[in-house]
Amino acid sequence: MGFGHNLRDFRIVRRNFLKPEIRRMKRLIQRGAVSPFYRRKFKPIKKLRVPDLETFSRKIPPFTLEELVEEKTASGDPYSLRWCEKKSPLLAFQLEYDTEPRLYLPLDRLALKGYAEALTRCWSLLGLARGDRVAIFDYGTSPVTYLASGSYTPYLGRGAAEALACTPICNDGVSNMSQRAVEILKTIRPRIFFLRSDCLQPFIHQADAAALRCSDYIGALVVTESEGALSRMEQSTFEKKLGVPIYRMLRIDVAMFLAVECPHCRLLHTWRDLYFVENRQDADEEIVDGAVRSPLLITNWFALSCPTLRYLSQIRGSLKAPGCPHGPHDQRIAI
Amino acid sequence: MSSDGRRSPRFIDGKDFWSEARVAKFQFRKIKAILRHASLNLPFYQRRFKESGFDPAAVHTLHDFWRVPTFKKVEIIQEVRSKGYFDFAMEDAVRGGPAVLCMTSGTLGTTFLHLPRKWRSIRGDSLLRAYWWCGLRPGMRMLMAAPAWHSLAVPETRIIEKLGVACVIPWGTFLPRFSGNFISVLTDLKPDFVSMFLPMLHALVAELRRRHVAPATAFRSVKSLLLVGAPMTPRSREKLRDELGVSEIFEGLGNPEGLTAMECSFHCGHHIFMDGCYVEILDPKTGARLPPGQRGTVVITSLIPYGSIYIRYDTEDLGEILPGSCACGRSWPLMEVYDRRTNIVQVAGKEIVPYDVRLCVDAIPEMVGIPFALVRAAESRPYLKLVIQKLSADGSNGLENRLKNLIGEHLQLEAQIEWALELPERWKGVTVIEEKDWRAAHV
Repeated sequence: MGFGHNLRDFRIVRRNFLKPEIRRMKRLIQRGAVSPFYRRKFKPIKKLRVPDLETFSRKIPPFTLEELVEEKTASGDPYSLRWCEKKSPLLAFQLEYDTEPRLYLPLDRLALKGYAEALTRCWSLLGLARGDRVAIFDYGTSPVTYLASGSYTPYLGRGAAEALACTPICNDGVSNMSQRAVEILKTIRPRIFFLRSDCLQPFIHQADAAALRCSDYIGALVVTESEGALSRMEQSTFEKKLGVPIYRMLRIDVAMFLAVECPHCRLLHTWRDLYFVENRQDADEEIVDGAVRSPLLITNWFALSCPTLRYLSQIRGSLKAPGCPHGPHDQRIAI
Repeated sequence: MSSDGRRSPRFIDGKDFWSEARVAKFQFRKIKAILRHASLNLPFYQRRFKESGFDPAAVHTLHDFWRVPTFKKVEIIQEVRSKGYFDFAMEDAVRGGPAVLCMTSGTLGTTFLHLPRKWRSIRGDSLLRAYWWCGLRPGMRMLMAAPAWHSLAVPETRIIEKLGVACVIPWGTFLPRFSGNFISVLTDLKPDFVSMFLPMLHALVAELRRRHVAPATAFRSVKSLLLVGAPMTPRSREKLRDELGVSEIFEGLGNPEGLTAMECSFHCGHHIFMDGCYVEILDPKTGARLPPGQRGTVVITSLIPYGSIYIRYDTEDLGEILPGSCACGRSWPLMEVYDRRTNIVQVAGKEIVPYDVRLCVDAIPEMVGIPFALVRAAESRPYLKLVIQKLSADGSNGLENRLKNLIGEHLQLEAQIEWALELPERWKGVTVIEEKDWRAAHV
C-alpha cells in the first residue's frame, strides 16, 4: 500500500512539475501566433494542438538567423516581424551578428527581467556573491555587460550585480586596448573577470608583457562568445598559460540565451524555467569525446513580446542529464 | 516656463532660474555638507585637511573653503599605485546603495570612480533638464551611443527612464570601424534624438560620404543632436547642422568627476549645472582665482555627496567662465572649456590652443572642419607653426594668405603654414604635434 501511495504521489509531483512548462509553452505559442513571422511559420501546421513538449518539438518548425534576415529584407521591419506588441519596444539592441541587413533585438521590461535573471544565475553558479567585484571586458552592447546593472541599461531596474550585491566595472572589449584590461585587474582585483573571446590572445600578450600573475588578482576568467565557444583543448592551454581557471559562457543573443560553464562539473548550465533546449537530431551530428553533438535549438520562455520558438543556433552540443550538486535541477550542455 | 516658450515638465525643478544669491546659498550649503562628509568618512581628505591645517568645521564663507588645497589626477594615480587598490578612501562604498565602477580614460592617465545609485539619480535628474533643452520628449526614440562603460551612460539611463523615451543602441562602440552600425540604426530604427561623441559623428559622416550617401538622408528622422567629447566652433556647428539636416545641434561638456555644463537653445556657452558642481577658474601658476572672461585651469568640487568625491580637483582643462548672462534668463553662469592644458602652445608669450586656431580656420568657408595641427617647439617661438591638410592639388596660396591675415587679426600672431597631402595616420585627431616628431617624419 505504501508503495502504491508513493507512486501516486510521484505521479502528482511529476505532473505538477511539468505543468508550468506546459503552461509556458502554450502561452508562448499563443503570443507567437500574434506575430506575422510565426503566423507564417505556423500556417502549414494543420492542427496547432500542442499538449506536451514532445509534440512541441515535433510540430513547431525551427527558425534560423537567415530566415530573420530574409524576413527583414522582405518586410523592412527592423525586428523581422517577430515583435508582437502594438507599441514600440522600450529598448532595441543591434545584434552582433555580421548580417546584411543588420538585425535587432527588441526588449520590454519583462524580457529584460528574464534575461537579467539568466545572467544572475550564471554569476551565482560561478560563485559570485555579496561584496564581490566583477570586471567585464566586453562592449556595452553585449548582454554580458548590459544585463549586469540597472545603471547600465534603462528600464532594467535590477541587473545581476544588484541581485547579488556585487559591484561591476566594464570597459569596451576592444582587443587593442587590452592594457586597460590589465589595469582593471591590477587595480580592481575582481573575483571574476569576463572577457570577450577575441580579446583573450591580446590579453594574454599584455599580461605577459606586464609580468602579471593573474592568480594574484582574479579568481577565474570567463570567456564569452556569441554562438561559439573555446574548445576544451584551447581552454586548458589558456588555463595553463594564465594560471587561473577559465570558464566558458555561451551567448545566443537572438534568443536571449545565456549559459555558463559550471566550475564543478565543467558542463554548461541552463535553466528549465527560462529556456527549453533541444538537440536537432536529424542532421549535422558530430562526435566529440565520444558524445554525439548536434546544433542546439533554443526556446525562450520569458520573452513574450518577441518570442523565440525553436531557434536553430550555430552552436553544437549535447544535452546531459541534470544532477550537478551546484544546480541539481539545471539542464546541462556539453559543448 | 522656459524662455524658449516650452513648459518644463514637473519633474524638472526650477533651480536654473533661481536668483544668483539663492544659487550661491544653495551651493555653499552643499559644499559644507560635502566637507563634513569628507572629514568624517573619507580618509583621503582627512589626511589632506590635516596636512594643510584646514579645519572643515571652521568654514563660514567661501573664502574659508578656498583654502582647501587643490589636487590633480597624477596625485590620484600615485595614491592608487602606492596602495595597490583603486579605493583609497576618496569614496564611501556603503553610502548611496548599489554601485558600478567607472574607468576614466584620458590623456592624463586612468582613474576609477565609484558611482552608486543615488549618484545616478541626483546627477541624472539634474542632467535631464539639458536633454529637455535639447528637445528630448516623452515617447521619442533616442540613439544612445555609449552604453555601460562611459560615465555619461549612467545618468543617461536614468534620463531615458524618467522621460519614458524608447532607446536604440548600435552594436560596438564609438570607434570609426563601427560607424556602419550606427548608420544602420539611424536608417532602420529612425531615432528622433541622438546623443553622441563628436569624433564619432565625424567618422559617421566620413563613412556616409565614402558610401556616396548624403548625410541628411541617414539623419532624416533626427530632430536634434547632443554632442560631447570635443568643442565645436560656431561655423563648424552650422556646417554640420546644414549637412545633417537636423534642426538643432547642442553641445555638452563635463567630466565624471563632477562637472556638467550644457548649452541651451541660445548657444551662448555652456550653463554650469550649479546643483551638482562648484566651478572655479584658477591661474595655474599662482593658484589665484580668476574673474569671468579670463582663461585658467578649471577646478571643480562635486556637490553630490555619494560615490567618489572630488573637492577642489584641478581638471587641468583650460577654460573660462564667460562674462555676462545668457539671453535665456537662466542664472546658471556660462563657461567654455577649450582644451587640455597639455595642448597649450606658447607663441610670442601667448598661450594658444588648437581651438583658437580652429576659429580662424573655420572663418574661411572652404576650410571649415579641415584637419590641421599646431607644431610645438621645445621653447616658445615668435610665430605660430601650422600643418594643414591640403584641400586640392592646385595649391592653397589664396587661402594661406587669408588664414594668415585672420590669425594676425584675431590672435595678433604671425603664422607659418605648411600644407601636407594628408596628416599621417598616427596624428589623426591629434591637434598638437611636437616639432621633433614633425621633423623626424620628414627626414
